[in-house]
Amino acid sequence: MALEFISPEGLRLDGRRPAEIRQLRANLGVIDKADGSATFEMGNTKVIAAVYGPHEVQNRSQQLLDQALVKCEYSMANFSTGDRRRKQKGDRRSVEISLVIRQSMEAAIMTHLLPRTQIDIFVHVLQADGGTRSACINAASLALADAGIPMRDIVASCASGYLNNTPLLDLNYLEDSGGGPDVTIALLPKLDKITLLQMDAKLPLEMFEKVFELGNKGCVAIANYMRNVLLENTKDLAFARGVVKV
Amino acid sequence: MEDVSSRGLHFQLSDSQRNRLRKSRELLREAPGNYHPSAFVNIADPIHVENEATVLKGHGTQVLDGQLLATLSGVVERVDQLVTVKPLRCRYNAETGDVVVGRITEVGTKRWKVDINFRQDVHLMLSAVNLPGGIQRRRTVIDELNMRSLFEENDLISAEVQSVHSDGSVHLHTRSLKYGKLTNGQLVKVPPYLVKRLKQHFHNLKSCAVDMIIGCNGYIWICAAVDSLPSNPEIEKITGDSGAPEMDSCNESISLKVRENICRLANSIRVLSALGFLIYPDTIIDTFDASISKGVAIKDMLGAEFLVMIAEREASRRTKNNYML
Amino acid sequence: MLQSKAFMKKTRRGQVVKVVREHYLRDDISCGAIFCQSCEKESACLSSSAPNILIVDTNVTLHHIDLLENNAIDDVVILSVVLEEVKNRNLSVYNRIRALCSNPMRRFFVFANEHHKDTFVKTMPGESPNDRNDRAIRSASLWYQKHLGQGPPILLLTNDIENKRKALQEGICTETVQSYVESLGRPELFDLVAQVCDSSLAEMDIEDSRPSKKKLIYPEHRPMSEITSGLQQRIFHQGKLRVNRYNPIEAYVNSESIDEEIIIYGRINMNRAFEGDVVAVELLPEDQWKEGNTLKLIEDEEDEVEEKVGLAPDSVDAAPTSLQAKPGDFGSKIGSRTCGRVVGIIKRNWHSYCGSLEPMPMPAGVGGAVNALFVASDRRIPKIRIQTRQLGNLLDKRILVAVDSWDISLRYPLGHYVKTIGDIGDRATESEVLMIENDINNRPFSEQVLACLPPLPWSVSQDDLKCNYREDIRHIRVFSVDPPGMYQIREANQMIEEFMLAANISVAEKILKHYPLCALLRRHPIPTPKMLEPLIRTAAAVGVKLDITSSKSLADSLDNALGNNDPYFNKLIRILATRCMTQAVYFSSGELTPPEYYHYGLAAALYTHFTSPIRRYADVIVHRLLAAALGLFKLPAVFHDKVQLNSLADNLNFRHRNAQMASRASVELHTLIYFRNRPTDAEARIVKIRSNGFIVFVPKFGIEGPVYLTPKAKDNNGEESCKNSADWIVDEEQQRISTRDGKRVYMVLDVVHVHIEVIEPQPNRSKLVLTLLK
Repeated sequence: MALEFISPEGLRLDGRRPAEIRQLRANLGVIDKADGSATFEMGNTKVIAAVYGPHEVQNRSQQLLDQALVKCEYSMANFSTGDRRRKQKGDRRSVEISLVIRQSMEAAIMTHLLPRTQIDIFVHVLQADGGTRSACINAASLALADAGIPMRDIVASCASGYLNNTPLLDLNYLEDSGGGPDVTIALLPKLDKITLLQMDAKLPLEMFEKVFELGNKGCVAIANYMRNVLLENTKDLAFARGVVKV
Repeated sequence: MEDVSSRGLHFQLSDSQRNRLRKSRELLREAPGNYHPSAFVNIADPIHVENEATVLKGHGTQVLDGQLLATLSGVVERVDQLVTVKPLRCRYNAETGDVVVGRITEVGTKRWKVDINFRQDVHLMLSAVNLPGGIQRRRTVIDELNMRSLFEENDLISAEVQSVHSDGSVHLHTRSLKYGKLTNGQLVKVPPYLVKRLKQHFHNLKSCAVDMIIGCNGYIWICAAVDSLPSNPEIEKITGDSGAPEMDSCNESISLKVRENICRLANSIRVLSALGFLIYPDTIIDTFDASISKGVAIKDMLGAEFLVMIAEREASRRTKNNYML
Repeated sequence: MLQSKAFMKKTRRGQVVKVVREHYLRDDISCGAIFCQSCEKESACLSSSAPNILIVDTNVTLHHIDLLENNAIDDVVILSVVLEEVKNRNLSVYNRIRALCSNPMRRFFVFANEHHKDTFVKTMPGESPNDRNDRAIRSASLWYQKHLGQGPPILLLTNDIENKRKALQEGICTETVQSYVESLGRPELFDLVAQVCDSSLAEMDIEDSRPSKKKLIYPEHRPMSEITSGLQQRIFHQGKLRVNRYNPIEAYVNSESIDEEIIIYGRINMNRAFEGDVVAVELLPEDQWKEGNTLKLIEDEEDEVEEKVGLAPDSVDAAPTSLQAKPGDFGSKIGSRTCGRVVGIIKRNWHSYCGSLEPMPMPAGVGGAVNALFVASDRRIPKIRIQTRQLGNLLDKRILVAVDSWDISLRYPLGHYVKTIGDIGDRATESEVLMIENDINNRPFSEQVLACLPPLPWSVSQDDLKCNYREDIRHIRVFSVDPPGMYQIREANQMIEEFMLAANISVAEKILKHYPLCALLRRHPIPTPKMLEPLIRTAAAVGVKLDITSSKSLADSLDNALGNNDPYFNKLIRILATRCMTQAVYFSSGELTPPEYYHYGLAAALYTHFTSPIRRYADVIVHRLLAAALGLFKLPAVFHDKVQLNSLADNLNFRHRNAQMASRASVELHTLIYFRNRPTDAEARIVKIRSNGFIVFVPKFGIEGPVYLTPKAKDNNGEESCKNSADWIVDEEQQRISTRDGKRVYMVLDVVHVHIEVIEPQPNRSKLVLTLLK
């Protein structure tokens, strides 16, 4: 018998209802040396992101004359999963996720304002419980905002899936390994533009539309939370410093 | 006890200290003269303007479907028709005339590259440097070869932003006696947004025999006052005819008292920066004096108690004096 | 609304892995009472008029599911902690309680206490999971008491003395199931109350009534921790216990950790394991392994080893295990077989069983509870001791009984009466028994299902005519070639079969082309040479050579296998050939590689079932696939769900097989009824030689069974039986059995005459017996 991911009472294994996201937590400015940094938690998934730059391009040959060079490195801590395994740096999965994060961030950063510069984004998974990809994008987005890098909009990401004939929002590891499709969406919510859409299984179109719709709603909810965190952070900084009139 | 990491410093706060810190933060929030809540914007938030077409769109804004939106999280500033969004935490944004402290990263042909916490390394042209033998002297090939004798890699300099170009490049100059290589002191880095732009960025703190350069880029240089040194060769030698600036390469011996003062000032700045308070001579000296009057040892200035005390001091000062800058 | 509490779990998966899972506690979980003022009432069902609102603990749910299913019990709160425990311990009970909870006619409510912020309890240090769950149940009961202060009183049903004591201490009303049922004053419910093994009951066991003889019959099961480590160290082997259908004291366990099948002889070694239980097995020392053929019963059991006369098998799957060629079968050169014994039961497969009570005299006195022994009609199931107050009603009935427990001091497991099916021997009752035994649902269609159909009387409507995926072919002359009484038209029939095959094959090709990963096909595995070995051996014995390199070559050589002026010879060989093969099965094309799609029996590369959507569900599925392939409809979601599709194919195979078993059993039942009053003589063919006789096939009635040349050892003293069996010599190579003096010789496929009659060696267990006519 297939695992029962949603009880007939409508509760998921961890007690959420199908369209609920896990508890979100975010902190800004967690790394002193970095220009911008953030931790982002979605339930038990916890990632840390650091942004360095914009700064001088390290490899002169990669310098772009009309826009900023965005680099991204994704890695997973050895202790991030239950079994401690030394993970190879630069394996296929990391390279792929690095690329995914970089591309969805590049779509938001106003790179044309920062020619001949480089922006480094480092994301590190501290604890993995499904949805690491989304959490990384959210953390990177916050870190970029913290670094004061101009962006068209905040990038918010959320995964959704389809198990037991029900669309589910924000899958945790257990649900992720349930064999159903896993749709990761990254959204520019105010502009209503998708910067990332990934799915690793087949899903009929009408199902997909439902799952996609749900994922979209999740992104909007997460974006609202992120905006709140950013605003509170701005206020904290401004109130501590006081008003400066030149 | 709880570990608190506050922008550069790590503290262990007891329960009561945490409460005091929280309370003073609340006071600061309610302090008079703060930003109006509507001044805060988030990325992609609309900025309210009367007529989008007539306003000048400054940094941190974009226009989308006829609507003015922010591209940064920060505060909206309006100067006449110009609307900008100032982020609170970001790299230094160079403006012409700013006094900056920087570090040489590269010696190139006819130019130095300098790190001033800008988004690129900025240029200091050989032609923008005072050379021995007079301001208007022609730059010769010999001068180009001798550039390292003036500023080497990793040397610290003070300079002024000469020009900001449209392609994002920035040029500095040191064509004044007050600019040049920095020795005999300590560099403290703070976020640039905490540095208040003032008319005067060179400060001579006579009481402690210390000079201080508060760079607009957040790099602050604290050194023994030039006139307090046993001999005062620096300026004469740069401007003098001898043309041998090798004396810069070694530090003078400085008295213990002055060295302590430098450290105490540096720590004062670090505490202010950790609390996110504005950094300018008044606050630095106030913190400096407070540490002396309370008899706080230099090393204890970075401890929790002093930090909380400074926070409370600042809170009460701003609420009482209708603090407004 | 969301509150989070992370908690730690340790699981064993080869190594210890720490699992951290989130656990959200909520404040929006409904209590399920219709009269509640504060909770959401969408799914509420508990009524205010109930005398009590019952909360049951895990063991009560597990053991008294039959009681809960009775209409007398209602307004029950099932806690999610109870559901979870039940699910882990017995899936079938879980499904039954789930069915109860979703039944709109019953008032059972699932309360998610584990996710309610006020009823969740955290495991305390040193607290066992059981204690913690008991505490959770009490905490939920207490919450209900407070929450529904005005409504009917809350009553916690538990048979756990410690739990009951603590509950009373905390001020929760609680009762045992027994006392609660008594308070209802409905004596017919008593039989449904499960038997719980305690010392008083053990003494009731007649065999062990004398204290001096009270002994432990079975060895203790090993603790779970020991089993787990034993499995890891490969001292124990895990597998599903399969009891020999024809010899219930012999069982097999196939374990992944060992190549060979482990044989378990005798009830002591089986150690209270039931058919289908997942068990841990320890291998016996090699000197205790049994020679395949010389096996004799090591225990004095009343169960006898015998082969049954029954319908001739039509495939390997339907054949009794003892008829299959196995290493170690008689005459085989392979020596002893791996033997083992059960050391622990990892998962029980207990459910309810059909059968009847062993005849016993009516005890004196009326209405008191009496112990009776229940004999399941499935011979693989041991006798079950039950307690009843209606013995007189049950003695001549087929009844359903559920197992509750099996203590080491009891020879038989304890169970309880569930329901009566009908009178023994009654055709309808016995048919019902067959249905239940083969898990065939013959309940009428539910209203939801009937609602899918158009109302009757139906006629072609305008909508039907407009429909773009339907075609009006009423103007074409259509006639049936298969009306009742027309089956003589042989050619027409054959023609239909060929059309049918062609249709099925072309549909299979079409759907596979469109949906290479999710087409529902039917395959017939190519028999392995080992499976065909008995056929070749038999054929060789009668001088026929078979070529088994391909299905075509086999078909050709079967065509050529013509006995000397024996018209039935060819048919007999064909019957034997089909018996060597496994049955065709449904599967999803994504699961196998194209060469495996092959249908051996029909010699077709692709095959599926398409032509009879009114008879087979598989055809409905294929119709949907075809409709999607033709672009008429969208592909239903199930085809995208690999897991669901596989379970669908598995279920189709399971149901198909069960239906066939039931059909066979039904024919056997009717054969028995037919011969009951008319013993008959008939011609039979020998199909297999045994050490003490042979198996014959009676073509006229399609039945097959053993014919013993020597009287059974049981009926004689040991010496005589030895002498008798020594009189007969078996020639394995030639497949013949002869007397020592060579006067009487029987060869495979020989014609013999047998007498068919029904005897009843044990009451209520009549059977067919074949005896040789000299």
